[in-house]
Amino acid sequence: MSHREPGMEESRCGRKPSFLVIGYGNTLRRDDGVGPRVAEAVAALNLPGVATLTCQQLSPEHADPIARAERVVFVDAAVDAPREVQLRPLVPGETTQLMAHAADPRTMLALAREVFGHAPAAWWLTIPAAELGFGEELSPAAQRGLSEAVAQIQALRG
Amino acid sequence: MAKRIVIDPVTRIEGHAKISLFLDDAGNVADAEFHVVEFRGFEKFCEGRPYGEMPGITPRICGICPVSHLLASAKAGDAIMAVNIPPTADKLRRLMNLGQIIQSHALSFFHLSAPDFLLGWETPQPQRNVFGLIAANKELARAGIRLRQFGQEIIEILGDRKIHPAWAVPGGVRSPLTKEGREKIRGWLPEAFATVQTAFDLWKKTMETHQREISIYGNFPSLFMGLVAEDGTWEHHGGKLRFTDSSGSVIADQVDPQKYYEVIGESVQASSYLKSPYYLPLGFPEGIYRVGPLARLNVCEQMGVPKADAELKKFKKLGRGAVTASFLYHYARLIEILASLEYVERYMDDPEILDDYLRADAGINSLRGVGASEAPRGTLFHDYTVDRNGLLKKVNLIVATGQNNLAMNQTVAQIARHYIKGANGAIPEPLLNRVEHGIRCYDPCLSCSTHAVGQMPMQVQLIAADGRVVSEVVRG
Repeated sequence: MSHREPGMEESRCGRKPSFLVIGYGNTLRRDDGVGPRVAEAVAALNLPGVATLTCQQLSPEHADPIARAERVVFVDAAVDAPREVQLRPLVPGETTQLMAHAADPRTMLALAREVFGHAPAAWWLTIPAAELGFGEELSPAAQRGLSEAVAQIQALRG
Repeated sequence: MAKRIVIDPVTRIEGHAKISLFLDDAGNVADAEFHVVEFRGFEKFCEGRPYGEMPGITPRICGICPVSHLLASAKAGDAIMAVNIPPTADKLRRLMNLGQIIQSHALSFFHLSAPDFLLGWETPQPQRNVFGLIAANKELARAGIRLRQFGQEIIEILGDRKIHPAWAVPGGVRSPLTKEGREKIRGWLPEAFATVQTAFDLWKKTMETHQREISIYGNFPSLFMGLVAEDGTWEHHGGKLRFTDSSGSVIADQVDPQKYYEVIGESVQASSYLKSPYYLPLGFPEGIYRVGPLARLNVCEQMGVPKADAELKKFKKLGRGAVTASFLYHYARLIEILASLEYVERYMDDPEILDDYLRADAGINSLRGVGASEAPRGTLFHDYTVDRNGLLKKVNLIVATGQNNLAMNQTVAQIARHYIKGANGAIPEPLLNRVEHGIRCYDPCLSCSTHAVGQMPMQVQLIAADGRVVSEVVRG
């Protein structure tokens, strides 16, 4: 059955999306929302074969579109990482990991593999978050990180 | 010496909480408290905002049930404008709420609670999760995910791809359902009905093997509250308030939600940021009441759709008067999913559903407006007071988890009394699992506003009255 995922922008080229960018975070907590902002910026580029998905938090139903992609980039804000945009390869997490309303990318990859039969190649793109107070405005650091993240996604896509 | 056992955090619920078990000198459980340790402050920081912005702001309270806040907020705006919204706008709001009930209940039943009662209480925590469920029954896990997807799909088709769509607005909704969207929804229905049937089959076996849990997981007399139609039919978005007691007798009926404060009082406990509402005529804490699926099925007389009505009859036979066992919240969720699917199916054949007259307009005709809607976890109230320019002077939100707060305390205490006797710091994990599941029956939503990466460990502390940690167990 074909259907559109919540928050998922279809590829504009008519081909099956092979490269999925998932930006997640709370857009009302300033830099925590940088992940969705990156996904929106990528969507605006209308890149062939690229789909984007934005959500506040990862949850089980996202395993289906993840399993249907060939490559996935999870984009998130980070508060405990070095002060630079980091792109790290991901592998499915241990299946003993807890599963709550929200999950982490490794858990989602494991869920995609276990339930839908395929875990795509995946990366975790983290952007340093400087401000997490109430508001929708990104800090200058997160704004710079957003631009760099979009560039890294374009480079990764090739 | 009195002691206190702390379970911190409680896992597989939405948000962060901890449980304290108070032991008497003999080591038996004397009392229990469910603490919510997050502070949100939405009511305060919304003051001064235009009321029309609230449907855009309040869904951010929660990433799991944003639709509930969206709809309650829009309804409060309707009341401030003193308008009746166009019929199709009402149907579309209802359709979105049904999608919300389906997706939320599917997550609760299949992925948060089923691992406990399908895999067994003694199953070690690392296996007693959705991956354990996949190992035990992959198709069930997959079907559960797909059912949740369906509910999300309904929301997304109406809300147009936004994370928190400000689609419902005071006076109606912003955009219609398209023919394409209707056909997508219709296309999902056979699979969704089949999944629910599978879940019912599974649940009936679960009831046979979990009589003990049914009898002690929050099985106590209390009041129940929910919205019902004028003829007593199950409601989820309109209707008026009804309270019943544990004998099944109606003690208050057709209470206008605009005047909820005449029947609901709000108590604040020093130990938690969660408010403890109670039925005002009985006072606190005697006015304890439960909301959510169990309560809604207790207060209604029929579901209004045939398949769910057949299940409701079976459900009501489980109680003498009201069904008082909180373990049966799970059963009630399944019945509500089934009813939601039937109502969705009905809307797909409704010629009005594609109409594009969707919004009534008016100025400020009332300085106070209340919006009430049934969130998956129970009745949600948004109460706004505005000035003549429509700027908010006061906001009061009453959420389901708060209304179930007293019941959750009693549930935890009841389970703990049964399983923890004479504990001297050594609390076997299966006992903690049961206490946690007692909370999970209510599917509490504590609305984390930021997400965290990584695992949540479970910390159990036995604390003496003087604050000394007698023993500590950390898992995860």
